[in-house]
Amino acid sequence: MKKRNIKIICAIAAVVIMTLALVSCGGKKETFTVGFDSEFPPYGYIDENGEYTGFDIELAIEVAKRNDWEIKLKPIDWDTKDFQLSSGAIDCIWNGFTMNGREDSYTWSDAYVDNSQVVVVAASSGIKTLGDLAGKTVAVQTDSSAEAVLKNTDNEKMQALASSFAAIKDYGDYNTAFLALQSGAVDAVAMDIGVAKYQVSSRGNTYIILNEQLASEEYGIGFLLGNTALRDKVSKTVKEMMADGTFEKIADKYGLKDSIKLWK
Amino acid sequence: MSILTMWKLLLQGFEISVLIFVVTLVLSLPLGLGVALCRMSKNPVLRGITKVYISVMRGTPLMLQLLVVRFGPWFVFKMKLDDSYDIWAVLIAFVINYAAYFAEIYRSGIESVPKGQYEAAQILGFGRWRTFFAVIMPQVIKRVLPSVTNEIITLVKDTSLAYAIGLIEMFTRAKQIAAAETSMLPYLFAGILYYIFNYVVAFGMEKAEKAFGYYEIK
Repeated sequence: MKKRNIKIICAIAAVVIMTLALVSCGGKKETFTVGFDSEFPPYGYIDENGEYTGFDIELAIEVAKRNDWEIKLKPIDWDTKDFQLSSGAIDCIWNGFTMNGREDSYTWSDAYVDNSQVVVVAASSGIKTLGDLAGKTVAVQTDSSAEAVLKNTDNEKMQALASSFAAIKDYGDYNTAFLALQSGAVDAVAMDIGVAKYQVSSRGNTYIILNEQLASEEYGIGFLLGNTALRDKVSKTVKEMMADGTFEKIADKYGLKDSIKLWK
Repeated sequence: MSILTMWKLLLQGFEISVLIFVVTLVLSLPLGLGVALCRMSKNPVLRGITKVYISVMRGTPLMLQLLVVRFGPWFVFKMKLDDSYDIWAVLIAFVINYAAYFAEIYRSGIESVPKGQYEAAQILGFGRWRTFFAVIMPQVIKRVLPSVTNEIITLVKDTSLAYAIGLIEMFTRAKQIAAAETSMLPYLFAGILYYIFNYVVAFGMEKAEKAFGYYEIK
């Protein structure tokens, strides 16, 4: 055999081995890969050590522990969540994931958090009610539930409210939206109440949450459509955690005790 | 979170950015030369294929190419790849994308060398490969260095696109810290790190340009 042929065979063999290594790195323990938005405190974010933490993250870690699964926390770009799920890169989306309006797109667990969409304004702005927002500019996160609520053409009340605004502006993340609020580029930010509370308290209470809410909705754990087997396993464990008080304890740690929904 | 912790976390992301940068550069620079030679080949099929490749790589966003490399195997072959494939996908996409750009830069350099030099080398008895590597390439490298520097600096900043498929490099880290701390400081720090990185790159390339300046009459 010529030297050149040997080289080619070696190269092909190397490629094949690398591919096999990539495909087969499952290991012995079953893995449970949770996809989440890592910029969504208090549900999922990074702590002092660069580790992922938050209400949903702690729940997911506990579920994996009780099932003897190896947990993998996979921060995802929110826009690519469906690719991630259908390609099997993640097993579920568990991160303040609103069920309303997405009922038929995923296999859902039962709802575990009562969420509402609220409006945050500067305390000094004098805005007290949704009516005061007439002629004002309101910020939302791109693809968020708040945006969906305000742009829902079936809801006449929201239609009327949204059309009273000067404009609705989309921002990629809440930090930028708050920067816009701070600098006066917008007058209000519409968002999930849990996130709003975190933002308001960590920004020294110079902002307030309006009492009037835009909409109420629920969070669930989203699995690939048809993956009821995994959904049932996870649900069973979550139910056990609710029964023995672990669930409530974790909720309390993140200031979400008032919003959780216990399964009977 | 203290300022020190922020820097520590950012530097963790910085390691990934540097990894993407170094691997992309080391692999795409030689690959680009190969692509440039195919692009100028006398074989019309090879030339045609290369032309299409360069056109697609330059004509579509790198972010889209990242998504195709990461999720394409599933949609086309139903291959399930777990998240250890993420870094491979990023490296593959960056290398094939940057090779296309480098190829066109090399081509501009190679075509700028006067035909007379090939003829002179032939008369001196140089073979095809010897002519190319001993006579043409040193001049090409010297001429393309400024354009290559441009591309390399863009590469440093492009590493942030790896976030599209969920790889945590420095800019994503900055976004995460900013969200957890509701602070804009991490962006400022990330900006400083990118600037220092690029300053070092530009400085190195300037030195390289000087080293290749040996043709000039002083």
